[in-house]
Amino acid sequence: MGKLIWHELSRYVSLTASIYAVWASFWGVFFRKFFWDFAGGILRDPGGIQPNPRISVFITLIVGIPVIQIMTIAIGLVIIALEWPFAPITRIAFHRSIPVRIILLIFQAVLAALLYQGTNAALWSLVAVGFYVIALGLNEKIAGSTGKVHRAGHP
Amino acid sequence: MIKSWFRREFLTPRRLFFNVLFYGTQLAIFAVGWYLQETNKRLAALNQLTYSVWVSRGAGLTLAFDAGLLLIPMLRNVIRVVRPKLRWLLPIDENIWFHRQVAYSLAFWAMVHTTAHYVNFFNVERTQVRRLSALDIHYTQAGGITGHFMLFIMLLMYTTAHHKIRHQCFEAFWYTHHLAFFFFLALYSHATGCFVRDSVQPDYIKSFPFYSTQHCLGYESWRFIIWPGIAYFVERIYREYRARRETTLSKVLVHPSGAMELRIIKPDFKYTAGQWLFLQVPELSRWQWHPFTITSAPEDPYVSVHIRQVGDWTQALGERLGCGPPVVAAMTKVAMDGVEKEDGFTGTRRDFVELDTDSVTRPSPRVRIDGPYGAPAEDVFDNEVAILIGAGIGVTPFASILRHIWYRQQRGSVGSLRKVEFFWVCRDAPSFGWFQSLLHEIELSQSDPNFLRINIYLTQKVKENMFWNIVVNDPGAEYDPLTLLHTRTMFGRPDWKRIYRRMQEAIEFGQYLPGREAQLRTRVGTYFCGPSALAAAIKEATQQHTTQSVAFSFSKEHF
Repeated sequence: MGKLIWHELSRYVSLTASIYAVWASFWGVFFRKFFWDFAGGILRDPGGIQPNPRISVFITLIVGIPVIQIMTIAIGLVIIALEWPFAPITRIAFHRSIPVRIILLIFQAVLAALLYQGTNAALWSLVAVGFYVIALGLNEKIAGSTGKVHRAGHP
Repeated sequence: MIKSWFRREFLTPRRLFFNVLFYGTQLAIFAVGWYLQETNKRLAALNQLTYSVWVSRGAGLTLAFDAGLLLIPMLRNVIRVVRPKLRWLLPIDENIWFHRQVAYSLAFWAMVHTTAHYVNFFNVERTQVRRLSALDIHYTQAGGITGHFMLFIMLLMYTTAHHKIRHQCFEAFWYTHHLAFFFFLALYSHATGCFVRDSVQPDYIKSFPFYSTQHCLGYESWRFIIWPGIAYFVERIYREYRARRETTLSKVLVHPSGAMELRIIKPDFKYTAGQWLFLQVPELSRWQWHPFTITSAPEDPYVSVHIRQVGDWTQALGERLGCGPPVVAAMTKVAMDGVEKEDGFTGTRRDFVELDTDSVTRPSPRVRIDGPYGAPAEDVFDNEVAILIGAGIGVTPFASILRHIWYRQQRGSVGSLRKVEFFWVCRDAPSFGWFQSLLHEIELSQSDPNFLRINIYLTQKVKENMFWNIVVNDPGAEYDPLTLLHTRTMFGRPDWKRIYRRMQEAIEFGQYLPGREAQLRTRVGTYFCGPSALAAAIKEATQQHTTQSVAFSFSKEHF
């Protein structure tokens, strides 16, 4: 068996999941829907789904003002900047930390899972988390940037 | 960067043609899918969803087209058969490249299709054109479930197929890519939910395909695109069957440089020079197939491959055959020291060691071979001059080709081929000792000194002891001190432009091919195997020096 470097695989999964999260949340701003609104909600014709008033906080944060959507876009962009990596971010000390990535990805998964459009992004983020956890278990280290212009993705 | 991208994609006629045809077709199919949905009176209810449903139907039809194309470049046996007939039409050796282009398009249209459907289902729920919630369609209907499933499989397949992952752990890529089986099952059943219909409820029936086409008005694209899928499946079964045909490992030779030569006998295995095969040793791994270039000529009574023990599988194979890494390492070290003093310069390198299968305690392992496949070098004999260029390990296909040329020479049937120029660019010539002994045999047997010219370029930095070896032994000696060939080794990188310019001038002045008909165009075919940066440089040189009277062509071998 060739030796698979898990954090390198995870980087591609994490990038894909985060780009998906940004794209999905962008559409979520225009088509606002809380994913879990079926819980206790009633489907009415006409009118569509009528959410349970007990979850109105989510309805306010997603349908009222798209706060969750904007937060997901923000965190997605942060992860993309970290993974790509975006040159200025390589000056930050922890830009190579796997635990930081895991935490950000869990946040992204939780936020995206609240959105109608975000379930795949949430699931894929968790896959990336899983791969990063394996990488941690194998004591893998993310190789340092040379400080020069980064050409990530280019061999 | 953008400039060079533009030049590559749009200013090269062939590439421009491909781009216009490939992406143009996709856009046209998208437009057709859109138009047929928008103008279908029976789907008026769905058309209330406007743009999103038009986009999703268009993208869906394009996806069907792409998914149908996806497997065609992977039909290896079909390609091998049609290759000689279609070579003039399309660069058929670029099949994997085409597979990738289709996959990129597939990902793009999947994004468009999925995005549009998220809007569709959102609006279905809002306007209740159907009495369903969006999540019902996403997670309880066939279309939704298979769609999300396919996206997930694509995530795994695309990420593990990245060239970085493929190079560090081929198995991760290879095994994950077999999820394609489930991907295609999901693809063919994606439309079974009768989502596109003019009735209120899906119109299911008892017989195949379990929905009535009277009311289910999808494009039925699966009826067309399932055929490449079936063909691919049949081909995989056939490959498995063929690989199980009787195969015996008749001999194992170990060359002083450390390469193992496996001589395999398989009566029904027919191939042409320069092709390659997949080798499997079930005892080592039941599932792994490893590609190797065939080094024997079709005239030989056996099929041989040369294997260097560089990876874990090849090392395990060496271990199993009784010539494991320690044994070979010792031999390689001797060989790498270059030309051993005790050998003198009698002209031959020390011979290989044959491993007697009886003397090894265990019987030799079962092997299976699958192939042969590929190789553009099949058509060497159509040229007047063949330039064979091997870089590093890329020299292996030329072993078979040179042997084959030699056999044909003996029979006097070299076609229009008048001259062969063989270039070998490598970093450390001594480590390819087995190849040198082959070259040596061929060089000795040349009756016409002008037919084959061997040019060896050593790009490695020369060490001090090697340097003195050359200084002391080279002048006046009959054989080159490094390769033990008549041909002198040249040092440094070859200047391809100069080589091609000289050849073009020599041909035009009539020095190169005496008696050449001046009015005929001389065809010079270049066959290259090695890294792509070098390929680009050589290709440029061939294009630059093509004139009225000399036509240089270029083809690249793929591993």
